[in-house]
Amino acid sequence: MKKVLSTLALCAAMTIGASAGYPSKTIKLIVPSKAGGSTDTTARLFIDTAKKYWKGADFIVVNKPGAGGLIGFAYEQRQKPDGYTFGLMFTPQFVAHIVSKKAKYTLDDFNIIGNIAQDPGIVVVNASSEVKTLDDLVKLAKAKKITAAVNGIGSDDFLAAKQFEAQTGVSFNLLPTKGSTEQKTAILGNHVEVAFMNLSQMLANHKAGKVRIIAILDKKRADVAPDIPTSVEQKYNVLMTATRGMLVRKEVKKEIADKISDLYMKVVKDPGFQEKAKKSFIFLDPRPGAEYKSYLEGLQADTQKVFDKTPW
Amino acid sequence: MILLDALQAVMTVDALFAIFVGTVSGIIIGGMPGLTATMAVALLIPITFSFTPLIGLSIMGGVYAGAMYGGSIPAILLSTPGTPAAAATAIEGYPLTQQGKGGLALKVSVVASFVGGTFSVFVLLAIAPILADFALKFGPAEYFLLALMGLTGVVSVATGGLAKGIISGLIGLIIALIGTDPMTGMTRYDFGMVELYEGVSFMPALIGMFSITQMLALTSEKSISNSDVDLKSIKRDKMPKGIWPFIAFGTGVGTVVGIIPGEGATIAAFLSYNVAKAKSKLKHLFGKGNPEGIAAAEAGNNACVGGSLVPLLTLGVPGNTVSAALMGGLMIQGLIPGPELFTKHAVITYGFILSLFIANIVFLVIGLFFAPYFAKIAKIPTSILVAAISVFAIIGSYSINNSMFDVWLMLLFAFSGFFLDKLGFSLSAIILGMILGPIAENGFTQAMTISAGDSSIFFASTIAKILWAITIILLIQPLFTHYKDRRQRAKAMRAE
Repeated sequence: MKKVLSTLALCAAMTIGASAGYPSKTIKLIVPSKAGGSTDTTARLFIDTAKKYWKGADFIVVNKPGAGGLIGFAYEQRQKPDGYTFGLMFTPQFVAHIVSKKAKYTLDDFNIIGNIAQDPGIVVVNASSEVKTLDDLVKLAKAKKITAAVNGIGSDDFLAAKQFEAQTGVSFNLLPTKGSTEQKTAILGNHVEVAFMNLSQMLANHKAGKVRIIAILDKKRADVAPDIPTSVEQKYNVLMTATRGMLVRKEVKKEIADKISDLYMKVVKDPGFQEKAKKSFIFLDPRPGAEYKSYLEGLQADTQKVFDKTPW
Repeated sequence: MILLDALQAVMTVDALFAIFVGTVSGIIIGGMPGLTATMAVALLIPITFSFTPLIGLSIMGGVYAGAMYGGSIPAILLSTPGTPAAAATAIEGYPLTQQGKGGLALKVSVVASFVGGTFSVFVLLAIAPILADFALKFGPAEYFLLALMGLTGVVSVATGGLAKGIISGLIGLIIALIGTDPMTGMTRYDFGMVELYEGVSFMPALIGMFSITQMLALTSEKSISNSDVDLKSIKRDKMPKGIWPFIAFGTGVGTVVGIIPGEGATIAAFLSYNVAKAKSKLKHLFGKGNPEGIAAAEAGNNACVGGSLVPLLTLGVPGNTVSAALMGGLMIQGLIPGPELFTKHAVITYGFILSLFIANIVFLVIGLFFAPYFAKIAKIPTSILVAAISVFAIIGSYSINNSMFDVWLMLLFAFSGFFLDKLGFSLSAIILGMILGPIAENGFTQAMTISAGDSSIFFASTIAKILWAITIILLIQPLFTHYKDRRQRAKAMRAE
């Protein structure tokens, strides 16, 4: 006990010392996915802008891909809580791992800095399909067994498809794929009837007229594609969105965490950051810590309900 | 007219310099196991935002083309493939280096890479939209058959007899089972380790089995090659006679496989290698240093560069992880993949394609010029070389996923690989099983899901039928040779 206390005291002393001249060394931004993906791009753009506000501060991106983000999330929890490590996370995987008991962390292990971006779920079909609305989809699914491509078990797409099934009573032939490229090919090449995906992945193809997004699984329409109706408008209460937020460990000292929150707010409000994000199909959705945390808690409860009914 | 405008845009000092820098960095990145073109392109995305679109894309395209070639250099010289796609090259290249013909191997590799790369870019330039439709015809059933066709290569790459070759292939397939089941989300053979949830990562296994096993073998030698390597004789080395048909096979196979979205280059290299062996008159030399194998494999993987850009530029479907990162680079410049690229942004798009031609020329010149100097690595004393390469192997294994676990994995593969090799099992066949296992499984289970358990889906399309036919042809030939050998041996035994 004594040992623990003295270690804690030492840590505290170190963080107090650090907060005055913070930041004085390189800051790691952990990306729980591969280089080149959307989360990775978000991180790199964030750093680019962050340097403008924290002059002289050094940042590096550390990619920790694998296991649906779990490797990265777990790594973020193991970092020294000195404020020199920020982590990115994405939902619903971040909470889904807690629900499925694969994760060793809980929401309370982290100080949630805020949400950066979101990517609403969509229901998409090939442009040549007769399905034009969610009603059409239900009708078709009741008439025959149709295949729906989702990006892996336990992903946001999977959860959205499960929600849709639960609400409408239809049952899809669920086809889990490895990544959105397989889903794209499956829809464009007419290998499956429908796919549950994210807006950024199919927006360009929708605008080119190759595919048709029949619903956005959100309460309001997207600014980038105002022509696409929402699920709520079509009287289906199926909501799914992938969010991408930033966190640090709970033990990070308050003064430092406040500085980080302040940096986060400045970056997400920066016009240059906003422009680059828009071009990269990253839909900004700034939600500060407390608000985002309560969203995550709600999401965890909802995911728990789906998991209890059909565990994966 | 657009082509002329595009050419004019590319032929500026800025653009040419960008292509040069991109290609040279690409060769270096490709040559270092652990550094990937995907990583490099991802790093470049925020930086290129401040450049004009064409300059930014030229750098990224140069990196892509250069890295694909660069992977072959350490594969040939040190049996250390810089990229997974160069694994097939190592099978033939390293024995040549041991024989003091590393310079020749490098020359064949760079020429084949150039031909493959250039042809596929030409195809991209000429008929991309038509080919995009072909890419979409590939459904899960066709992916399964493509993997099956690749698995016939187990027979070709195995050197220690058919039975051991097949066992090796099965070992590879069993290793590929580790990780999350794509259909149910359950993890298999993970021993409770999070690091294994996505399966055994490939690059550490490859470094361990190809590179470290050779370094262990080297400890009993003075240097890689005992024959004299002098600069003049390497410079005089002519391209081997009859090599061109093999470059052509590789180019053809690589372009087609590249167009199909998926991890193309590695499969393309092994498939081309396999076809080359089936076609070769010097079959007995395969595995012992046959330049024909290098020609086919290198033409094959470089031909994927142009091929993988076909679905990317026309449909926004990236063919592999590098082109996925490249897509990020396009979008940040406001260039959304799709038909508009070829109309509204035609000058930039065609300029980008033309820049790839130049990137190919850049690595051809550099490769030919430096080949004789690189080849001298074969004379470095092993006491220095083995230590240096082992350090690179460890750093390389670590840096793929920033994971210490991968380093242990690499060492595990190195030591078990060393003994399996000594016992006559084929490490190449294990690697092939590991590459193709997940593709085959994914394709099979997805196809069966779509067809609701009806296996006729594997015979339904024309492409499926063609793939079956090629698979059977590729199998008949080596099996027939094997059978004939055995009969002859039996006869000889009886005669005695």
